[in-house]
Amino acid sequence: MFLKKIAAVVTIVFITVSFFSCEPKANTVPGESTKLRNPLSVKDSVILSIDKSPMDMSYFPEDYPQQKMITPDMPNPVARVIYSRPQKNGRVIFADTSVTQNLIQHYGQEWRMGANEATEIEFFKEVSIGGKKIPAGRYIMYCIPYPDKWTIILNQNLYSWGLHIDKTKDLVEIELPVIKNNVVIEYFTMLFQNSTYGCELVMAWGDVKVVMPVNFN
Amino acid sequence: MKFLLLSVVFFSFYFSAVQAQSKLPALDKSPMDMSYFPNRYPVLKIQNKVNEPPVARVIYSRPQKMGRVIFGELIEYGKVWRLGANEATEIEFFQDVKINDNKIKKGRYSMYCIPYEAKWTIIINKDNDIWGSFKYDEKNDLARMDIAVQKQSEITEEFVMSFDKTDTGANLVIAWDNIKLDLPIVF
Repeated sequence: MFLKKIAAVVTIVFITVSFFSCEPKANTVPGESTKLRNPLSVKDSVILSIDKSPMDMSYFPEDYPQQKMITPDMPNPVARVIYSRPQKNGRVIFADTSVTQNLIQHYGQEWRMGANEATEIEFFKEVSIGGKKIPAGRYIMYCIPYPDKWTIILNQNLYSWGLHIDKTKDLVEIELPVIKNNVVIEYFTMLFQNSTYGCELVMAWGDVKVVMPVNFN
Repeated sequence: MKFLLLSVVFFSFYFSAVQAQSKLPALDKSPMDMSYFPNRYPVLKIQNKVNEPPVARVIYSRPQKMGRVIFGELIEYGKVWRLGANEATEIEFFQDVKINDNKIKKGRYSMYCIPYEAKWTIIINKDNDIWGSFKYDEKNDLARMDIAVQKQSEITEEFVMSFDKTDTGANLVIAWDNIKLDLPIVF
């Protein structure tokens, strides 16, 4: 009986906390208010307002630029990804072709994994992905999502906009299982995390994520 | 007892969920962006309108004015500034270029400035993948040049860097608040 009471209190406290703590991040979208979308003021320049799907970058080791501030003699980073961060905004992110409205991406079709420019990944030393050696260098990345797996592809058509894929420049392809998230992730996110064999590139959006193992040879 | 067990399970889920959420970065207040020369190079590329590699690209973050006086207040005169926010601004040249008579070899560099009222000292530095200007080291400078500040009648809300074609190459246009600068790149 006593245990039951404690359990009830704990549950109520927890529900209250979770209600308040899970909410905030999505509401503060910088650059979304019309006030910030000001007239372009530098004449004769191609100057855009803050992008709806802003760019971001992630390094491995994680937070490398900040870490380098503390330890200036750090060896070079291993990897970095530059991508854009679209927001879910109440839409369905992935669905089959029977869904046509309020949808972002159909299953079975190429997706640039973000927005705007093709997602770019750079390795500062040789690594292995899907059993294949990837020489140090810069690549673009895209994927073909399915309900239970994503096919991730590294391609050599650099500095290109993500809407047109030149398949003749594919370098490596790897199939990875889709993992369900406990929470819905509003912004498409890519980041590296440590692993025993090297690192993993986590790609997460909505209620799914995919983890790509990167082996340091 | 069952109820307790259920709560414990619930709790562990809750913590893993919160952890997963807090590990993921929120949208940045000063979002990153990148500009190429030629302008919109990636779009031109998929339209098959370019055959040559790009000449340059800059990767920087875009803080916003938000009613503040920027130069001389938010950003102090005479102090090194990372030209944006977060990571130091990165400029990459895909071929050798000349900026204000400084030869710059093809490669990736960090970029800073020291702003003054009438001119800025623009700095190209060889130390890459670094946060801000906190550990900026003059020893790694490749070039320093003074560029005149141009007053603008209109306000630029979001810090911006973009390339403009010129007769001799391109200007890297840097603008925020009521000023702009043109960094002449010859190639």
